[in-house]
Amino acid sequence: MSDGPLTLTLNGKLRQFEKVPDSERLLDTLRWRAGLKGTKEGCRTGGCGACTVLVNGEPTLSCLLLSHEIDAEKVTTIEGLASEKIGRVVIKAFTEAGAVQCGYCTPGFVVALAAQLRGAGPPPSVESLLDGLEGNLCRCTGYRAIQKAVEAVHEALK
Amino acid sequence: MTRSDAEPKARGAVEYGTDLAAPHMLWAALVRSPIPHGRIVRMDLGPAREMPGVVAVVGPDDLRDLLPKGALEAERPVFPLDEIRYRGEPIAAVAAETLEQARAAAAAVAPELESLRVDARIEDIFPEWPSEAAAKDPRVVGHVHARYGDLDAKFRNAELVHSETYRTSGVHQVAIEPHACLAEVRDGTFHVRSSTQTPFGVRDDLASILGVPPSRLVVEGTWVGGGFGGKGAAFLEPYAVLLAVASGRPVKLSLTFEEEFELGRTTLPSIIRLDTAVSRGRIVGRRVRLLLDTGASLPGRDFAVGYSIGFLLGPYRTEAYEIEGFALQTNQPPFGPHRAPFAPQSVFALESHIDGLARRLGVDPIEFRKLHAWREGDRTAYDQPVGPFGLEAGLEAAARTAGVWRTGLPPGHGIGVACGFWSTATGAGGEARLRLRPNGLTILQGEREIGNGSVIRGLAAVAERVLGLPDDAIRVEYGDTATAPFDSGVFGSRTLGALGQAVEKAARSLAHTLASRVGAPAIRLEMKNDQVVVVAGRRRQKLADLLTPAERTAGGVVALGKHYAPERTVDASRVLAGTVYPYQDFTAAVHLAEVEVDRETGHVRVVRYAAFQDVGVAVDPPGLTGQVEGGVVMGLGTALSEEMLWTPEGRLANPGLLDYRLPRIRDVPPIHVKTIEGFAGAGPFGAKGVGEPPIIPVPAAVANAVADATGTRVFELPLTPERVARALKLL
Ligand code: FES
Ligand code: FES
Repeated sequence: MSDGPLTLTLNGKLRQFEKVPDSERLLDTLRWRAGLKGTKEGCRTGGCGACTVLVNGEPTLSCLLLSHEIDAEKVTTIEGLASEKIGRVVIKAFTEAGAVQCGYCTPGFVVALAAQLRGAGPPPSVESLLDGLEGNLCRCTGYRAIQKAVEAVHEALK
Repeated sequence: MTRSDAEPKARGAVEYGTDLAAPHMLWAALVRSPIPHGRIVRMDLGPAREMPGVVAVVGPDDLRDLLPKGALEAERPVFPLDEIRYRGEPIAAVAAETLEQARAAAAAVAPELESLRVDARIEDIFPEWPSEAAAKDPRVVGHVHARYGDLDAKFRNAELVHSETYRTSGVHQVAIEPHACLAEVRDGTFHVRSSTQTPFGVRDDLASILGVPPSRLVVEGTWVGGGFGGKGAAFLEPYAVLLAVASGRPVKLSLTFEEEFELGRTTLPSIIRLDTAVSRGRIVGRRVRLLLDTGASLPGRDFAVGYSIGFLLGPYRTEAYEIEGFALQTNQPPFGPHRAPFAPQSVFALESHIDGLARRLGVDPIEFRKLHAWREGDRTAYDQPVGPFGLEAGLEAAARTAGVWRTGLPPGHGIGVACGFWSTATGAGGEARLRLRPNGLTILQGEREIGNGSVIRGLAAVAERVLGLPDDAIRVEYGDTATAPFDSGVFGSRTLGALGQAVEKAARSLAHTLASRVGAPAIRLEMKNDQVVVVAGRRRQKLADLLTPAERTAGGVVALGKHYAPERTVDASRVLAGTVYPYQDFTAAVHLAEVEVDRETGHVRVVRYAAFQDVGVAVDPPGLTGQVEGGVVMGLGTALSEEMLWTPEGRLANPGLLDYRLPRIRDVPPIHVKTIEGFAGAGPFGAKGVGEPPIIPVPAAVANAVADATGTRVFELPLTPERVARALKLL
């Protein structure tokens, strides 16, 4: 690692960043260098899930990850997912279920849910999808509408 | 009905406070006091000014040079000029090219401080109920005392006196978006963009803190990532403005979560003592004593006591009472509003107390409440007539559901009921400007959407109902404090009830204008091929054909609506000290919880939940359900796990999400939301606001269910496994 350049495949495109400090977190690289502010900054301590992105397809808390640790790897953010079919299905379900109030938690939920559904084959059970959202906090909705969105997505992909 | 902001938010395409940026922007960080109480002996900011990337560092000594004289005379200046009052209080601020540089420089400031004695908790000030002389203690920053009826006689002749003491803990709003703002100075005017529930409130606060006239301030709200009361007053904005003045560049300031917790502006602990006298199976009198921690607040906090204490008499008829409460200044951060400020905690005490009393008398807790519940025309404790109120109807509906749940209730389970009430349509007032164009309606007003939908959907729903236009032909627009009509803010469940009345009036005036123009007694509007059509009986005309030439140039028909809160009064002769508050309208909530208590660990699981919400009229049913579900789950956090833990040394032991536990998706039980309609409120069409009422009864309903399941009452919030286990004598 060095205070040097960083390369990421970001939403399918190769992106290079100069002089990225060693201590910089992926969350800040995405928001302030790549201009991808759809990834939200919440607690910065791994406690809320608002900053969830996919790193090599795996849901990851970008506030806990140093950018240089994943040099040359693949990152997908909400902006990327929103143009994938699965992203669109999840976003539609959240929208229609009334699962978006302030919306600050929503991109994190969408990424964490879509991550579990990108593979081929039938979707995991609703229960296991909900387990996959245990790290995402929502303070507005009381989660009921989010549960409904999960059920709707499950139904749509069955 | 899908909200128009839902899809862009889900895609991450809207700008919140944390997303704010400007060309040549600097990042700010706060220097925060490491001690909870003391004085600054010396603070040399020179070394921090020399650190890499640093452009400006400001502390108490800079206020005189950078701001008008008024800034030094503000009730609470930007930085403490005499005393540091809580650990973490900002004592200086830094702006640098990067956030890291700003934080490094802030950390390098090493002030020399003198410590003073710490009063971290209520018990440090008043270990016992205070004597009469105690009201003079300088740490008493609020005192309310009220009395009515011959209470001594009621207690003397009572068949039974039920006496208990309850305690509650500090809880944090924890919006997922931290506070954030951006300030810049342009042409001698301070421009602030902020994630706030009250742009006009921030402007006026800033004016007094900075010592400048409001006309030199422009505040613009951003999308708000959750407020819950925590984003309702100037907070970070003064620091950002000061740094912008000192640096001559735009300055962005946002908080870490540790700062969110340590800077507070949250609910703080209370101790509540209740004595209730009963004769012939009815409550005949109550004595209430309340000690309220208001943290590092300044004198003049009577309102905190006044609001809390009202909830301790409840929405119940009271023949005689005496209530007295003190707000105490401790070395915790200043308290602040949290969804339904003061209500869930007070209601926990009162509704637990009433429940225990009903059980002691061997009567059904719902029937017992019905016996005393306010009905329209009853008088409040301060002699205000009760308006239309859905409490009794809510209790009846709850009784039916409780009956169903009771059959086949598994062993170890219990059912609890609790009532709450709230007054919506509060605040000074609101204004809105409607413009009907040939292709649709715009509503211009001063609030940003904080999440509950009351602005983006609620206001549109009001116009929709008056005019008949569909939601997608109505656009809610925002302005800053220089361009938008005034409004008090998105708080107090008032947006629909109060600002909604402004929209309603403007919409009616539009309808009236058009009706007279087409010569009909009334009209409604429709969309046809993206064109607004005016329908009067069988006649239909395009709006475009009805505009005057001037209106065609100006872009449509305009109407301004305003609603200023009507004066309401209380019987002041009952109030011996401090102030109590009248209500604007009367909103009831009745909740039922079923819980299962683990007899080994004390863990409480909420199995199912039902909320009966008095709404007057449901203007936006899906939005309403979302508010009730959200409020209930937030209340479950207050009930079961959320607690800010202060050490006797004045340190917050759990300043983050790892040790301050919020409800998660798997914790949430099925929640049945039922509306009680037909008891009209002050809002448009008789609507009542629903942002806050749904959190109010939750801790009490859960505690009463625990008592039902175990036969044991827990007297302190939250009902953590440890507290429940202790009550059950398992520990
Ligand atoms: S911001 Fe990363 S988990 Fe909260
Ligand atoms: S919608 Fe506001 S935090 Fe989830």
